[in-house]
Amino acid sequence: METYSIIFAIFLGGAVLTYFAGKLNSILQDILFLGSVLVPTYLFFSGVSFGSAMPFSLEGISLLWGIDHYSWLFALIVLGLGSLAAVYAIGYMKGKERKGYFYFNFILSVMSMLGIVVSQDLISFFIFWEIMTWSSYLMVIYNGKDIQRVGIKYFVFSAIGAYAMLMGIVIVHSITHTFFIEDMIQAYGHMSLQLQIWIPILFLIAFAVKAAMMPLHVWAPGAYSNAPMAYTSLFSGALSKMGVYGMVLILVTLVSRLPQGIWFREVLAWLGGITAAVGTLWAIKQDDAKKLLAYSSVAQLGYIITGVAIGTELGMLAGLFLAVMHALFKGTLFMAVGAIEKQTGTTNFTEITGLIRKMPWTFLASLMSIIALAGIPPLGGFVGKWMLYESLITSDHYLLVILIFFASTAGFLYCYKFLFGFFLGQEEKEWEHVKEAPATMVVPMILMSVFMFVLGTFPGIILKPINNGLMDLGFVDSYKHLWETSVIFNNWGDHVILQPILYSIIAIFLFFLILVVWKGYKGTRYVTTKDISTSGEVPKEDENLTFSVGFTQPFLRAVAPVMRRQIDKYYTEFAKGLEGLFEFMRRIYTGNAQTYALYVVVFVVIVLLFKDVLF
Amino acid sequence: MVGTPVLFVAIPLLAAFLIPLLGMIWKELVRIVPGLVLMYLMVLSINLLNHVLVSGPIVEVIAGWAPPFGINLVFSAFSGFLVTLMIFLGLVVWLYSYRFKRNVGFEPAKKYFLLLMMLITGAVGIVLTGDIFNMFVFIEITGISGYGLTAFYTGRDSAEASFKYLMLGSIASTLLLLAIMILYSQLGTLNMAEIASKIHTVNPTYKVISLILFISALGIEAEIFPLNGWAPDAYAEAPGPVGAAFAGIVVKASVYAIIRYIFTIFDISGAYSFLIIIGMMTLIIAETAAIRQDKLKRMLAYSSIGQMGLVLVAFGFGTEEGVFAALFLMLNHAIIKSLLFLSGSYLVYNSKDKKIVEVNGMHKFLPITSFLFALGAFAIVGLPPFAGFWSKLSVLTAAADSHMLFVLALVLIVSVIELVYYLRVVNRIYFFKKGENVDPKKPTFNALLAMIVLGALILVIGFYPDVITGVIHKASADLMDKTKYINDVLSIKQ
Repeated sequence: METYSIIFAIFLGGAVLTYFAGKLNSILQDILFLGSVLVPTYLFFSGVSFGSAMPFSLEGISLLWGIDHYSWLFALIVLGLGSLAAVYAIGYMKGKERKGYFYFNFILSVMSMLGIVVSQDLISFFIFWEIMTWSSYLMVIYNGKDIQRVGIKYFVFSAIGAYAMLMGIVIVHSITHTFFIEDMIQAYGHMSLQLQIWIPILFLIAFAVKAAMMPLHVWAPGAYSNAPMAYTSLFSGALSKMGVYGMVLILVTLVSRLPQGIWFREVLAWLGGITAAVGTLWAIKQDDAKKLLAYSSVAQLGYIITGVAIGTELGMLAGLFLAVMHALFKGTLFMAVGAIEKQTGTTNFTEITGLIRKMPWTFLASLMSIIALAGIPPLGGFVGKWMLYESLITSDHYLLVILIFFASTAGFLYCYKFLFGFFLGQEEKEWEHVKEAPATMVVPMILMSVFMFVLGTFPGIILKPINNGLMDLGFVDSYKHLWETSVIFNNWGDHVILQPILYSIIAIFLFFLILVVWKGYKGTRYVTTKDISTSGEVPKEDENLTFSVGFTQPFLRAVAPVMRRQIDKYYTEFAKGLEGLFEFMRRIYTGNAQTYALYVVVFVVIVLLFKDVLF
Repeated sequence: MVGTPVLFVAIPLLAAFLIPLLGMIWKELVRIVPGLVLMYLMVLSINLLNHVLVSGPIVEVIAGWAPPFGINLVFSAFSGFLVTLMIFLGLVVWLYSYRFKRNVGFEPAKKYFLLLMMLITGAVGIVLTGDIFNMFVFIEITGISGYGLTAFYTGRDSAEASFKYLMLGSIASTLLLLAIMILYSQLGTLNMAEIASKIHTVNPTYKVISLILFISALGIEAEIFPLNGWAPDAYAEAPGPVGAAFAGIVVKASVYAIIRYIFTIFDISGAYSFLIIIGMMTLIIAETAAIRQDKLKRMLAYSSIGQMGLVLVAFGFGTEEGVFAALFLMLNHAIIKSLLFLSGSYLVYNSKDKKIVEVNGMHKFLPITSFLFALGAFAIVGLPPFAGFWSKLSVLTAAADSHMLFVLALVLIVSVIELVYYLRVVNRIYFFKKGENVDPKKPTFNALLAMIVLGALILVIGFYPDVITGVIHKASADLMDKTKYINDVLSIKQ
């Protein structure tokens, strides 16, 4: 298959050319950058066919690239979001430094993610996995902020995951003597029970790290918020989905054939639920939009993990549908934050207020994604969450459903905080100069909002590819009788049974939208100063009186005991302990020649003494 | 055939003696001649290696005395591969230091190149020789030039480092001589092939003691823990290119010697697991020590020690796969660690303490050098798609195939540690603010060229490892075939 070679050659060559084009001309660089993301995307969707694979060999290892319907779904997420984020990045990166560096890593990230989904063998899978890790690491340290802590933490966790996977890979290879994923699946049934348990664990560690699942999530908040927002939308939207991709693959093809596999599923589902709950609580606490969305990403991935870990047909559908939705709405939200950051220079709720009339399109996109995120009809998030609840209930996970429901409801708090903090409320003089972001940034956001809306009404558009993908993984075809498994569909995805209700809601929604916009423009009442009631107290000069300060405090006080235990602290303590140990190791080398000579003598004597044992 | 293996020893040795004389004619010749010699040897070694890969090893008899009585040189796929690698690195080091040493003046430059040629002579001799006493002589030559090069900057610290090296080196010589004596007293021969064919007749106790003494002696040169006390100091105090030469040439030769003894000469199977034990110890101690270093070259030195530990572990698997992995790792380590030493010594060029903090923000002043250092760092920790990944993968595959899952896990854990300290330095180069009183020095054209060649090799091997794996496969098959080695040497009749 020539197409694969061409696609990856364009990615690689494009990345290098784009990097160096910056030395010549900035516009040429932008064009090259767009070209090296969009051209391969076009080639992939027009030229690559299912079932045809490209075998080749490197260093005596046979490799195989090809796609099935399951990987096509993730290729869609990667390339779709990648293309839109690329367009957005042109606007976002205008006038910023290290543009070539950003573009280079952006292209490499998209390439490596596509590489992961087309890999049919473990070695190219691992190679692309690692390229993805280091290219995203280079993005995390892009701002140079706190890199020795946040950046290294991200890389260390990724490396732990990747090396666990590598260990799994070489163990599988020592049994099957090939690296093909197909052969691993074939041979899995004949392995010893010990290996049957350990191999999925080793792989799942790698995928759980990338999907930021508890307790391996501690890298995520820092990494998501430190990377430039144009990249974070891809980072949180698509890159974290690679973890989900691998997880589903391992769960369905390996774990499901193990009688003890039920424990894997339960543990994963619960970890996903806990991740969702804790992530949500932490998101509520944040005053910085980047951090808020970062924690929210962790939480949302928790829902997805729960869905796929339940492993019933409906659970899988829910998880994968939510994965697509999450790519859309979280991608949009990070883009919106990026736009606000670019226009105002800050992302802190306690500083910015009342942007609704200055950035109406950004507001609209944020509103849509918030609705989708919160799971309110009629947007796609609702369908996904409904399916998730239903799959949990039908598989008798009542406690889990309470947990998820708690997380989901608490999630409204940060959703509201995001919308209200940035866009609503009093306008301040400080932000009068703010303009709407340039079109290259707004258009991708609006496009994605439209997709979210469409998927809410016609979820079949994306449920059909998901169903095809699941069939490739070995599930039965649920097309045309999904209504048997879920109450919201009366027929396969063509429409939703609640449609009359839905459309009335849409009508009301539109009505209020128009009303709000109209009112906003007409302007009934302008409040330019901070007219906050201070209950008789005279506020001091430096007191921050923005209404977002101390938002949701009563709630946070109520859940404070839960949040006091931070797993991050334990990791830090552990790392400190290790450094102390290493310091001790270092002192073995005293720098004293006599000591070194003594070492030699001791070594020779010990080896001579124990020679019968050793040889 | 364009030449014979004896030229590898004779020509650089001759050049080393001629350098002072040529310097009297024209001072520049001191710098030019080593390069010409190494280029010639490079061509010669590639030709011979190609010849050997097709038609079997060349056994050269010195002075007309056929083995087992005379000294013989063996240029096989295995030793030829290592010789080519060493000569190549010698060439790179020469290219790098051609102008590096210009500001040092004529006298030091003369000594530098003289010692460098001696070092290469010795190291190549260790690999080629088929006689254990001859090997002892070459080890001494290598050692003495190594002491000299360590003390190149005639300061207090380098003298101290050189003294430590010298002290441990003398212990090594003593132990080695003792080991040779034991073998000679038992078998009455010094020829490797002859010893190998008769080793089963030796009393096991003598055999084991002799092997232990060999390993201890050579382990000092090969930087095995706890025998490697000299190494961090020597690397840190010697000039950057000498560090590269140590990591790429001297240590490789010593590891070769250990491997030759264990794989070919002795027939003690416990030696393989012993290799794994000491290799793992070296790897773990060195990498954990590296993370707490505050001097750049010292950090690189510990990392180098750790990598050699991993090489020994890979050899210790005792399978052909393991040998392949070890040789591949040696190749990559030679290329990548040399690049790190060469670029690293420019990053801290004008600093007195060579501290890691002094590389802060260097990428603005030395963009290419910084990039190459970062490339080297990414490659050495085994990130794909760079060269180091393939060797690490083959080590891990070999470990899994030998069912050494514990070793496998430990190697991976240590890799995480390695990752941390390299990334910390790279982050400093690119994202920290430059210190006030740090004065960057632009690399010379030659130095830049030398580094770019190494960087390009990392990318080539990373993207298309097949360019080199064919040779390594043949080399590892050659090492594993002990009977063939004995026959090849002993069948020579003059």
